[in-house]
Amino acid sequence: MEPDIKIETLVVLSVVVFITLAVTTFVIPYEDQQTKLFFVGLAAVLASINVAGFFMIWRSSPTIIDEIFLMTPTGMLLKHYTRRLRPDQDEDILAGMLTAVQTFVKESFDESGGRLKEIKFENYDIVISHSKSVVIAAIISTKKPEKLRSQLKLVTEDIEAKFGDKLKHWGGDKHELGDVDILMKRLLGGKYRRN
Amino acid sequence: MRSWMELRELLKKVVLLGDGGVGKTSLIARYVVNKFDDKYIATIGTKVSRKDIQLIKPDLIVNLRMMIWDVLGQKEYSKIRTASLSGAQGVILVGDLSRMETVQSLEDFWLKEVQAVVGRVPTVIVGNKVDLAAKDSMAATVLDSMGQKLGYPTFLASAKTGDNVEPIFRALGEMMVSDLVPVQIKGPEKQLQTLADVVDFIIHDFCAQYGDLEKAMLIIQHQFEEAGVDIRKPQKESVLEALEGLAKAEELSLTKTVAMVNLEERQKLVVLAKG
Repeated sequence: MEPDIKIETLVVLSVVVFITLAVTTFVIPYEDQQTKLFFVGLAAVLASINVAGFFMIWRSSPTIIDEIFLMTPTGMLLKHYTRRLRPDQDEDILAGMLTAVQTFVKESFDESGGRLKEIKFENYDIVISHSKSVVIAAIISTKKPEKLRSQLKLVTEDIEAKFGDKLKHWGGDKHELGDVDILMKRLLGGKYRRN
Repeated sequence: MRSWMELRELLKKVVLLGDGGVGKTSLIARYVVNKFDDKYIATIGTKVSRKDIQLIKPDLIVNLRMMIWDVLGQKEYSKIRTASLSGAQGVILVGDLSRMETVQSLEDFWLKEVQAVVGRVPTVIVGNKVDLAAKDSMAATVLDSMGQKLGYPTFLASAKTGDNVEPIFRALGEMMVSDLVPVQIKGPEKQLQTLADVVDFIIHDFCAQYGDLEKAMLIIQHQFEEAGVDIRKPQKESVLEALEGLAKAEELSLTKTVAMVNLEERQKLVVLAKG
């Protein structure tokens, strides 16, 4: 199972370790001031290593993607990947509505032709990446959208390069996008890199 | 001997257009899968729903999923409308037969919008509220001559009674797949060796043609139990008996002809299978 560590947990753990070290350092009756300073310094160094270590673990843990919608810019769902089964969800309609919402925001608030890149709702982040023929919307609940953005951009560019021409004249047959699954599964694994 | 039929699954974008209050949303409401409230049309300018239909062509069955974009009818919201129209592969133009101006604006305004954004795409013209206006009314006559002039089929329908609504989707669906031909017509005879392979193929084929995977699996499970098919070690006699039951289910969900063709082909596969 992939670790999913929240920053709040790390802060609490770091503070606990620091307090333990600090209390130990100040409670013990030292023979002289030099020894005391040495232990205070040691406690500070250990606490710093502890904080840095936890931060590195958090940074290296993958962003867990709950759902991905691979769509055309016109709102047609090409592929849908999910970790959860939602019997009531109609992914084709949802993809259309997600596109309609993007259109509404774009046309209502942006005169310069920008695009909606993120939607936040309660514990969820919807990170959206666009290219000429492809839109990918990834739903995450791990609060690390910044880690996902660069990977999403890469995979969008790769799909555009590989399938862009086909999608320009796409007749609605989802099976025509056969091996897009290979790229998307790498993204779902949380570590998409360009070979 | 009939040839094996190819199955294709296609997704197409359809946009519903017409003046405000002509009954676009009501017209399709009972005939499509709605997951979002109608208020979304007023709030974000669009609501998306879907309609699945099955079309039978020579040697080809097409499961067509139409994603229907119901767009705000107020003419002022041109940007959102243009964005929603983008990529449309079919259009349903709706006018209100009890309001002549809404019929006239189909050609004067809406059709021009469509042609400016997506060019000429399969289109049907609908005169709604036929329950409020006579079929030979002025609006109905104008609508009919408009259709003839433009080369688009016209329908007089009623959202209130449901009269003539389903044929609108079928006609548009037929137009959208009119160029479609089977890519490759090949039976699975050469690939399928054992009876287990054949049973596996039949299950997959039945589910694909039925459309609703969950219901299809329940029907298969029921028919297999009735016929005493042991999926791990199937016997030809029991499988052939189950095929009769599946054919009856397909008569209701598809057509009698398709059910007969499927039954014949599946029976042939079972008989020829090893084991």
